Amino acid sequence: MSQFKEHAADERSLASHPGAAPVLDGALRREIEAYLSRYPTKRAALLPALHLVQERLRQVSPAAVREIACLLDLSPAQVQDTLGFYGFFKQHERLGRFCLRVCRSLSCAARGGEDLLEYLCRKLDIRPGQTTADGLFTLEFAECLGACDMAPAILVNDTLHGNMTKEKIDDLLKSLAAEKDAAGT
Amino acid sequence: MPTVIIDRREIRIPEGRRLNGIEAARLAGIEIPHYCWHPGLSVAGTCRMCLVEVGTRDPATGKITMQPKLQPACNTLVTDNMILVTDSEKVAQARAMVEEDLLLRHPVDCPICDKAGECLLQDYHYRFGRPERRADIFPFSSRRKDLGDVILFADRCILCTRCVRFAAEISGGKELMLIGRGTEEEIGIVDGYPLCNKLSGNVVDLCPVGALVDKDFLYKQRVWFLRRHANVCTGCAVGCSIWIEEHQERIYRIKPRENPFLNKWWICNDGRYDYSHVHDPRRLLRAEKSGAPLLTVDLQSLAEEINRSLRAAGRLAAVVSPHLTVEEAYLLCKLIRGIDSDALLALGPVPVIGEDESFPGGFLIAAEKCPNRRGVEAVIAYFAHRAASFDELLTEVDQGLLGGVWVSAGYKHEWIGPATASRFDRLKLLVVQDLFPSPLLERATYVLPAPVYAERDGSYVNRYDRMQAVHRAIRPPKNVRTEGELFWAMLGGEGRYDASRVREQLAYEIPYFAAARGGVPESGVDLKSNLLADEGDVSSRGGC
Amino acid sequence: MPYEPVLLANISKKESYTLRVYEAGGGYRGLRRVLKELSPRDVVEMITASGLRGRGGAAFPTGVKWSFLPKDHPGPIYFCVNADESEPGTFVNRIQMEFDPHQVLEGAIISCYATRASKAFIYIRYEYPLCYRRMQAAVNECYAAGYLGKNILGSNFSLDVYLYRGAGVYICGEETGLIESIEGRRAWPRIKPPFPAVEGLFRKPTIVNNVETLACVKQIVDRGVAWFRSLGVPPEPNNPRDPGSFGPKLFGLSGHVNRPGCYEAPLGITVRRLVEHYGGGVWQGRKAKAAVVGGLSTGVISEAEFDTPLDFSAPQRVGCLGLGTGCVVVLDETFPMIDFLYNSCRFFAHESCGQCTPCREGTRWALRILERIKAGRGRLCDLDLLMEIGLTIGITPGTTICGLADGAAWPIQTTIRKFRGELEEYIKKTNPHGYRETKPLPAMTGD
Repeated sequence: MSQFKEHAADERSLASHPGAAPVLDGALRREIEAYLSRYPTKRAALLPALHLVQERLRQVSPAAVREIACLLDLSPAQVQDTLGFYGFFKQHERLGRFCLRVCRSLSCAARGGEDLLEYLCRKLDIRPGQTTADGLFTLEFAECLGACDMAPAILVNDTLHGNMTKEKIDDLLKSLAAEKDAAGT
Repeated sequence: MPTVIIDRREIRIPEGRRLNGIEAARLAGIEIPHYCWHPGLSVAGTCRMCLVEVGTRDPATGKITMQPKLQPACNTLVTDNMILVTDSEKVAQARAMVEEDLLLRHPVDCPICDKAGECLLQDYHYRFGRPERRADIFPFSSRRKDLGDVILFADRCILCTRCVRFAAEISGGKELMLIGRGTEEEIGIVDGYPLCNKLSGNVVDLCPVGALVDKDFLYKQRVWFLRRHANVCTGCAVGCSIWIEEHQERIYRIKPRENPFLNKWWICNDGRYDYSHVHDPRRLLRAEKSGAPLLTVDLQSLAEEINRSLRAAGRLAAVVSPHLTVEEAYLLCKLIRGIDSDALLALGPVPVIGEDESFPGGFLIAAEKCPNRRGVEAVIAYFAHRAASFDELLTEVDQGLLGGVWVSAGYKHEWIGPATASRFDRLKLLVVQDLFPSPLLERATYVLPAPVYAERDGSYVNRYDRMQAVHRAIRPPKNVRTEGELFWAMLGGEGRYDASRVREQLAYEIPYFAAARGGVPESGVDLKSNLLADEGDVSSRGGC
Repeated sequence: MPYEPVLLANISKKESYTLRVYEAGGGYRGLRRVLKELSPRDVVEMITASGLRGRGGAAFPTGVKWSFLPKDHPGPIYFCVNADESEPGTFVNRIQMEFDPHQVLEGAIISCYATRASKAFIYIRYEYPLCYRRMQAAVNECYAAGYLGKNILGSNFSLDVYLYRGAGVYICGEETGLIESIEGRRAWPRIKPPFPAVEGLFRKPTIVNNVETLACVKQIVDRGVAWFRSLGVPPEPNNPRDPGSFGPKLFGLSGHVNRPGCYEAPLGITVRRLVEHYGGGVWQGRKAKAAVVGGLSTGVISEAEFDTPLDFSAPQRVGCLGLGTGCVVVLDETFPMIDFLYNSCRFFAHESCGQCTPCREGTRWALRILERIKAGRGRLCDLDLLMEIGLTIGITPGTTICGLADGAAWPIQTTIRKFRGELEEYIKKTNPHGYRETKPLPAMTGD
């Protein structure tokens, strides 16, 4: 009936171009599908799917968008519409190993958060939204991280770092780089 | 009957109707400005242009209580004793605010925008907007994006989301989306999934401003030069109501005409864009006799000459095109049967392409690509009890049973191949009325150029037995006579051909058309509503 | 007598977030009692009688909200826990979920019982990963202990709880924005009517409650309506529409104070008491200039207004939107109010969902004006223009669908009203030759 389904059916071979492997492997698909039983609509599994894909693949590429659309019986535009709203998912480049989200809302700004953001920009030589060339750090500004009692704060992947200073940032960057080396990636 | 007080006037709401503030105000002759609401789409309530003051009147005491907050009229279902105020200072300020907000980032490039002259942003600005610009942003851009079937001038967009809702709810493909959040939002598509579907042109009608633009119409004509004429699409058996918009007898644009019984507010792209045959230079433009231009140009002489030829031809047959109007089919059958009371009356080939296509919003495109098969069949059935098929006629041609055949064609596309055309070689007399050259022409005794649908007066009956009547939108080219004019003259009719008079006549004669007596309203008339035909007549109409 | 915290009673215990510690402190006894002795209707009446009002910002009476559910709906009824705390200055839900997730969960389960919900979604913002892990662990423990799942504690009440992870957007904290987000769409708040209690998540009846509100539900069940009403501020005697401000509240304190943190006190303590007594006063020996009262949205008060009680009515009397989240951010005398205003306008322009014209365009316009002022091209009349924006966008005048615009508007209104002198001085100083101009200026480069 609807045209996008026909497109989607073509994409079932699931390649960004014919012959290439699908972006979402079997395991990732199954993880996404596991969410379906919670909700009466497939669409409700979209945000969890986007999170899973970004966590695993460090981005939600246009090809991934098409595959997710197929998996959830949505049009690619519906997936992209939701994805683009959140401003959270990287599409055309990969998220760095560590995503540094520096709060710029009131409490942190009142205690020097903006200066720290500038400091990080200079130290890493990138602007907010960009990733260092070695793929280690992505810098983003964040709106109120809810860490006002430890302002200024930075969220690094899944860990909140509070009461940050320039010195602490230096230490943090060093330890993150060491962590990456230790992990061997 | 519930009563609503709108701007201090009491309006009675018809029983059982659920109306919102905009619809109720229309009953009072008041147009509440709005962008994002559309009766055919879900309610969004986001443009905030339709804000009004709402209150209630106590039916017992008459006490009036107004709510302090403005409400969007589009999402306010009116109830008994509700009060709406649309002309207060508060409302005026709200409208001015919304207009100012929409103009903040708008390029205001009216001089190069197609929509100028029919743009709600313009209209509302003049009526409700602020006299001076206070914003310190002066964005100018003509940035455009190709969305597939249409073009988006992204910076003109006011984010009413009508197009997105249409693509989701009516055409169903969900190709359109919003990109981003907040003030950075714009409409877009996903690469590789363009807005390409048979209903896509409707988003251009829906767009209140010049953001979405027809590729077909882009920069072609200023809308204030266009005259529009109510007409009916002849692309398929649904026969959507349309507006044909022309300037100096040249069609520039086709738009849907609202018909709550039929196409509602929509038409498909075939009907919208496929009028290339109207001004196609290949059209037959002059009458010919035996391959040479026919020098008798006046109607009377032509009528007499062809009449003579017909009378001398022996057994007659007529191929009645399903593109003919009811009145023209009637006159043709009457004419032929008047000369030969046993003449074979056949329905012209019915073009069928693919299958019926239906869309989630209820719109349908019929596979049958002609507007009047039902009407023509009913007319033939009246004269001949049953419409013969084109194949039956071909058989009689092959068997040499026919002397003269009148072929009324008028098809947009190739409809007859050389092999079939050659079967007509043996005929003594062949009259062909058609739009474009075909193999049949070389065999024709008389070639008469046919008009296109936009050049005819008359009526059509669609697949749902709805009859709609039209008056021509443009004049046919100089030497092209409508079938109606010709048949009328050949029948010795007095004065000019007047389709409505013929319609009135046949509505009395033929029971199937009885509901058309007294005139056909704008949205057409359902012929089933007044069928007095006996079972025999009804069942003889093919394909019921 | 000093107030004994109940909402924060557990947080200093070691492994406070585990079921073991929670139960040792009397946890889930309330749930047991409710399932055994009370009908859902009883619980609704109890919460209504308590006068509990939502702590997420809107302060709507919780029992009344629950009573909007249709009476004999075949179901399913959904319950959403709003843990998308994103209001700048607010972090109290984070403390609760990190250190006492079971309190929130017990309150949620009791509330689901009361509202006959069969599925609950806990919508946790992305930026609270520890909360997410701890809540998930708590949920798992509850399933194992029989506090969740089919036939909870042998009753015929069954409930499934799922966590849902946000993606960094403020508007997902608006109840219908949250619902749209769970449904997998852009989080555009819905027009009302219909209201979520009638048609919410997946078009079914839905209740959305804040984390702190649910913790209060648990406390009311444990300690009783009388206890709850013994705390806080009773309704104004000559205002029949005032439901009062009862119960304890978590007050987040941050900004220029010596001891930023989460403090529990009955509703009604003054800003000054919070700052001085709990917060240890303004830092670095300075004086306070201003504070936001209940997260950024409510607007600012000046130091002179610090004796304003923090309850659901008093902040309005000094021109604030309301109590909001009850989280106070203090700004000292050196902090330029122009920077506050700029920070606020930037936040709301970034977070506006974009569907309503006045908010989408108005927040951006306000930001552009602030940028221009900070770039040294401000005019005095810009303050009037900003004020007009601040007075016309929002659900209060009825011009938008949700309250984000009000949140954007109130900081503008209050800052200009209360600090106009300072702002005018800034404009005059930074644009000495052009501040008197009233005509629109040519665009800045990059427009």
